[in-house]
Amino acid sequence: MGRENPAEDALILLRSRLCNPKIIFKSISESPDSNYSKLKFIISSSVTESCNNSVLLLGPRGYGKKAVLELVIEDLLVEHPDMISVIRLNGLLHSDDNCALKEIASQLCVEHQLLFSKMASSDDNSQFMIAILQECGLAHKTVIFVLDEFDLFAQGKQRLLYSLLDAMQSVSSQAVVIGVSCRLDADQLLEKRVRSRFSHRKLLFLPPSLEDLQRLLEAILSLPTNSSLPLGYVVKYNEKLHSMLSDQRFKEIMTKLTSFDSTVNHLLRFLFIAVCDMNMEDGFLSVENFKTALSSIQRQPKLEALQDCSILELYILVCMRRLEVKEQDSYNFNSVIKEYKAICDSCQISDNYARSHCFRAFEHLLQRKLICFVDNRGHSQSVEFRPVKLLISFHELSEGLKSYRSCPAILQKLTVRER
Amino acid sequence: MHTEDSSKIPRRTTRSSASTIKLNNAVDSIGTNDIDPPKLNDLVFGENGITFDDLLSSLPCRRPQILQLIRLLGPPNSPMVPLFLYGGASTGKTSVILQIFRHLKRPFVYSSCLTCYNPRILFESILNQLFLHRKNAGNGYSSAKRCEKPADFIHLLREALINVLNKLKEKSMKLRSSSGRMIYLIVDNMELIRDWDKSSTILPLLFNLYDLLKIPELGLIYISNSSLDAYYTITGFIEPIPVQFPNYTEDDIRQIFMRNQANPTMYSSFLDVVLGPFSRITRRVDELSTTFSLLYVKYCEPLSSVGIVPSKEMKQKLFSHLKPHIASSLNNVFRVASPHSLDVEASKGKAKKKNNASRLVHSEAFDEIDFHMSVAAKYLLISAFLASRNPATLDASLFDSTGGSDNRKRKRKNSEKSMERKETTEQEVLVKGPGTFPLERLLAIFQCLTTVSECSFDEDQQSDEKLKDKDLANNELMSDVLLQLSTLCNANFISKGGSCPLEGSCRYRSTISEDMALKVARSLKFPLAKYLYR
Repeated sequence: MGRENPAEDALILLRSRLCNPKIIFKSISESPDSNYSKLKFIISSSVTESCNNSVLLLGPRGYGKKAVLELVIEDLLVEHPDMISVIRLNGLLHSDDNCALKEIASQLCVEHQLLFSKMASSDDNSQFMIAILQECGLAHKTVIFVLDEFDLFAQGKQRLLYSLLDAMQSVSSQAVVIGVSCRLDADQLLEKRVRSRFSHRKLLFLPPSLEDLQRLLEAILSLPTNSSLPLGYVVKYNEKLHSMLSDQRFKEIMTKLTSFDSTVNHLLRFLFIAVCDMNMEDGFLSVENFKTALSSIQRQPKLEALQDCSILELYILVCMRRLEVKEQDSYNFNSVIKEYKAICDSCQISDNYARSHCFRAFEHLLQRKLICFVDNRGHSQSVEFRPVKLLISFHELSEGLKSYRSCPAILQKLTVRER
Repeated sequence: MHTEDSSKIPRRTTRSSASTIKLNNAVDSIGTNDIDPPKLNDLVFGENGITFDDLLSSLPCRRPQILQLIRLLGPPNSPMVPLFLYGGASTGKTSVILQIFRHLKRPFVYSSCLTCYNPRILFESILNQLFLHRKNAGNGYSSAKRCEKPADFIHLLREALINVLNKLKEKSMKLRSSSGRMIYLIVDNMELIRDWDKSSTILPLLFNLYDLLKIPELGLIYISNSSLDAYYTITGFIEPIPVQFPNYTEDDIRQIFMRNQANPTMYSSFLDVVLGPFSRITRRVDELSTTFSLLYVKYCEPLSSVGIVPSKEMKQKLFSHLKPHIASSLNNVFRVASPHSLDVEASKGKAKKKNNASRLVHSEAFDEIDFHMSVAAKYLLISAFLASRNPATLDASLFDSTGGSDNRKRKRKNSEKSMERKETTEQEVLVKGPGTFPLERLLAIFQCLTTVSECSFDEDQQSDEKLKDKDLANNELMSDVLLQLSTLCNANFISKGGSCPLEGSCRYRSTISEDMALKVARSLKFPLAKYLYR
């Protein structure tokens, strides 16, 4: 009871910090030339100067685009209360134009405490949107449109984008359109008429530098001294954490992790696994936690799948590899069986199984995604005749065979011989 | 007779439904009154929880995964990053996570993409559980809210989650021993979504659910057969934390099978014999368990009582008794025995006591087809097989009025070129598969075959009366044929290919193997080998 609770509370605190990306990005967005400040400048200037603007936030997944955007919006809502209303759309959900207009109309209604009717047609909704934009413009209120997964809006006819950007061209409207996308060429996807109305402002999100990551680690993992946790425990924990962060082994683990994938999200997941591993008796983190977290996050799924295979399945994979080496362009289950029987006859193998077994082993391999059909459309043919291909490389196959427990030596010989 | 009842019932009734209709009404009213609407407590698994030791002992060989999952789920009321459990089939993923939730006594919502086979059903199943709505006769088996589009789903899900979380918070403030303030959503069999029509929108939606909702009290768990790299798309998604369930090793399988055995030493000596050869074919527990249960019965046959501890000589004797059965049942590993085949096996077993025991190994090849087909269907199947197998140009020579068998004897080219040609055609047959044929060709071959068989039948019988009925019989056979064809298509013996754009009629393809065709032909005493093009 006594010692358990502070460790548990500390664990809950750390976990909630790691699941909430906003806190994370606050600490690395302090400097003046970061994306946070630039974005804040763009939006706040369009709010104060009553002009329209559009900007794209680009960068691979996990680099903090949405988190930084949320931070900026939060700060602006505090600075300019009652002058901003925010409409949020997502490309996964609202890529259909009618759906998007309905969503815009319902969010506008919620903002301005109006009643939303589900029966309104899309024409009604679009007229409503234009009317509201005009009214807001006259009242000097800015409407911010946040479009997540911007590239999904740019599929199809882009009617929504055109109507939004077109509405911004009128004198009386005050709107900011912010697109967030993980495709770096999202603006190339726009149609000509949409692109001409789009101000080509792009903010690129880059991976944080190593010093930033180091600072981030300290910020995330240290416990605050003014929380409800006992002070002695907190001080001791922070000391231990500090000594661990400067430990050589820990630095090696961090370099291994960041050379593999340096996104902040990846780091957060790694920290989550490490924190979950925390020793609950004394409530401190140690380097072993981080080591196990590293091995559990860096996986090789194909090798694991190979370890799970039975010996007959390995035989089938080796036969398929031999067919590939013989440069047969397309082969199906029947050809694989022919090769298997040929091997059994020539090498006098005792693992000579009937066709129905091999077929079942073949199906298991398909399920595990070690092999797949070449085309997905040939459904009129039965499984035995559809061409298949291997989804693992020769290197993975030989690695898997080497590390397989009790692998028959003949299999390794068969793969190596035909190099 | 029942006219006094019919005045109350507005629809047309049969006599039987009129007599039972009163009972049905009674059952319905009992049904809706007795089953209470689901409460918040129903979201927690079952009435009685299980202790940690029970958890570990009921799921053998899964200790590391259980410990890892409990650590990742964390103490009550701690937020969680989404988890992704993956591993082969029957490795215990679903059971482990459900039993863990039973042990931890936390509320969760479970839905599987096996039973929810399209997005609408999946969305509605999750929402029904969250809205604590049960489908019954009272509300006409409808869901709480109708939800087809992802946008509606996110709205309704947020509403339902906020609802449930408020209720949980109230409960936790009142009671000390509550189930916490978090709720977990488990989606099982994710790999089936890849085959859906709208998989390109649904998969990223499900993986991004945590970001879309931004509710920290929600925990998400995905279960799948294939690992994460099979789900990668062009635009990607935030990856959940993977937890792998590796397949059981041989020792693990032995431990699993030894649980709850009446006679452990006997069973362990049985496993010593069978586990080795069978685990070379497959290591899946579900497939092995069906075979082992049958084999164990055979293994214990010569023993008088079940509870003996076997000595070494006894083990040798039992092994030699079981050995021939192993070879034959290796071929039956994946078949669950139907009652008919069990009887056949029993009668064969009695017969085999006289014959050589090694005959059992070859008995598979001479099995008969173990389902019933009418004579017309059998002929139709053989005609379809021949039509798929032989090229159309040979039909004229094979199926002339004398049955075609005479012509074949004249073709005797044993030159090298013809041998090569035979090999390449065999190769093509293997690779390309059965060819397609139009309906007219099938019917023509069918006509030929049935007239040939009628002719031979008549020659055997040598009765003149049959000749008069022959035409009539043929006509009757014809009208049946189209019905039989559609039955065979439904049974997947003949598949419909695409239609030829020039002719406009549809083409068929036979999907049975040569062994099956030989079996069918043998049951009709039809000389199939004469008609096959080699």
